Amino acid sequence: MATASSSPFEKNRRLLGDCFRREAGAAAAIPADDLDLIESGVMDSMGWVSFLRGVETASGAVDLGAYMNGRTASFAVLLSALSNSSSASGSRKRLETPRDAVVIGTPAIIAASSSTVGSRVVLSEEVDRAFGMPVGKLRGRAGIASLAYAAEGENELALGAKAAEEALRAASCAAHQLDWIIATSETHHDYPPLSAQLHSRLLARENCGALDVGGACLGLLNALAVAQSLIGSGQAQTILVSTADVHSRTLTPGRVAGEFGGLFGDGASAFLLCGARSTNVSGGYVLGEFIFGCAGQYAAAIQVSDTKDGSLNVRFDGEALSRAAITRMEKVITAVELRSGIPRSSVGGFATHQPNPRLVALLAKQCGVSRSTFPPVARVSGNLGSSTCGAALHESLRNASKQPPEERRPIFLASLGPGLLFGGGWLTPHENGQ
Amino acid sequence: MTKLLITEITRMGPAFCVIGLQREGEKIQSLRPVPPSAHSWLHFPHQRGDILECALAPFPATKPHIEDRTATRGFQKSSSVAENETVSYLRKAETANSLPDLFGCAIQENKKGAGLHAMPNQAKRSICGCVTQNLRLELYANELRATLALPSGEVLRDLPVVDRDWRDFIDAALAPARGANRAARLERFLKSQFHRKIMSCPHHFIRLGLTRPYHDYCWLMLDTLFPLPRLEWLEEF
Repeated sequence: MATASSSPFEKNRRLLGDCFRREAGAAAAIPADDLDLIESGVMDSMGWVSFLRGVETASGAVDLGAYMNGRTASFAVLLSALSNSSSASGSRKRLETPRDAVVIGTPAIIAASSSTVGSRVVLSEEVDRAFGMPVGKLRGRAGIASLAYAAEGENELALGAKAAEEALRAASCAAHQLDWIIATSETHHDYPPLSAQLHSRLLARENCGALDVGGACLGLLNALAVAQSLIGSGQAQTILVSTADVHSRTLTPGRVAGEFGGLFGDGASAFLLCGARSTNVSGGYVLGEFIFGCAGQYAAAIQVSDTKDGSLNVRFDGEALSRAAITRMEKVITAVELRSGIPRSSVGGFATHQPNPRLVALLAKQCGVSRSTFPPVARVSGNLGSSTCGAALHESLRNASKQPPEERRPIFLASLGPGLLFGGGWLTPHENGQ
Repeated sequence: MTKLLITEITRMGPAFCVIGLQREGEKIQSLRPVPPSAHSWLHFPHQRGDILECALAPFPATKPHIEDRTATRGFQKSSSVAENETVSYLRKAETANSLPDLFGCAIQENKKGAGLHAMPNQAKRSICGCVTQNLRLELYANELRATLALPSGEVLRDLPVVDRDWRDFIDAALAPARGANRAARLERFLKSQFHRKIMSCPHHFIRLGLTRPYHDYCWLMLDTLFPLPRLEWLEEF
């Protein structure tokens, strides 16, 4: 696994080795640099393409395949391609800039966080009854013990504002210091948009921007990536990222099947992001790079649309979606591991989307990490949409804050959205401006 | 004797795999003639659209290659049909609009990298046709690969293209006699003119196939892409 102190060449070589062993098997010997992997029979053409795609994801290099056209299928040529991809003198324009790499001027730090859930806690058996399902189904099949529902008077704005105010308070930051409010929600479709409503509720400055970001359950990662770019480019110093989702008023009995609607709860999360170089922030976590994509082969597994009569048209192939979620999140975690050089075994918390608790357990098993590193959000509150990942990230950050600074460990992010959108990233502890 | 309309000729290493359509009453089904002692033909001098007379004997084929039939004697060409007519028959054979319907089973992504596969014991057949919403071919590290969108909106990436005519076209495009920057010129063609020619063709149609079990999986591949390439296109790039 590459480390931050490696030279770019050594880092690329290790990355190739990691990807090669992932394709050819953990025990496979690393081939000589100039060996043609196809001619020599080390790989067939399908394995070769698969290996290259893995290298693209792990390195962020674009169009490796085009670069390799007419060239030998060897490590030496690949190392040259990767070297070009990180060098401005690269001869192929598309290889000059890694696809997903964020051009970071000022690193973005999560200085404070918060999360909240609907204040009406309902046992899953009660939800089974409401949806006309056998009592015990949600607990037995999905592992959900209870769901957090918004009480009367609570909605996306109320929950989002509550989380935002707590995050601002935790960072001793006043709302008028905010340069941007970036909101995401998979259930709020009203106007004014959620970001504008939060802007007004928090009494942010008039010239504080307000932006809504989509992506459903992937929304938090999308919002964090946007915030990171704004801070990195110097256009903002302090940004509030907020998620808020109230499913209990949309996915109701009679409107959707319990196997789908019964999984969801209500909640919100908030994160205060600051530029590392322009503030006196100490502690917190630095955002690393993000990877994003869309695995369209799973597009039909979940589809939700409005109908003319006001009902919801839901297509939900639970089995296919579960399989897709596990496979894709494991791939995202592997890509984040390869890209960051941080072994998954040294990660303190996995702030991932949690479709349901059973899948979280399965994901932990597939990844070979302890289930305890996944905060139990969905088990007690249900799937909170974009706020699931937010609640898990807040919990991971809270757990880390209880540790002595030198013992705090990195956090991995991984999430999915219908489409099948996927994204991942990582955070590392930030100490005293380091 | 069986009359077979040849619809697929695919490259499998040094050999060719062949599929044709057989009509039985109203039903049109795909059959894969194989030599008595192999899965593919080292020499197959016929073209798509040829109607061949042959003697085929069923044998207990391994799932999902239920279309396999042993050819007990040589092929005799009786006539041929045009490309658009071939496609009109393909549209009446095995077709699907969504990923799980292609082979009657779940299709899974390669957990390690690129490509899609089915479990051999789950797939109900090994060939299926469909109309695509969009399609892209690319030369990726010297390998011809396809990405396509099904009518269901599902996207299939990194499918190996094994269609003999398209592979021959790519080889011809990269022939040294064609001068400098051949790969770059081909890339440009595939990214621009190709798309217009394919998607605007009224008889655009594809057939997807499953490989024989390889490392425990049957991998998806693009067996056939209509329209077939025309040699005069080589003059355009």
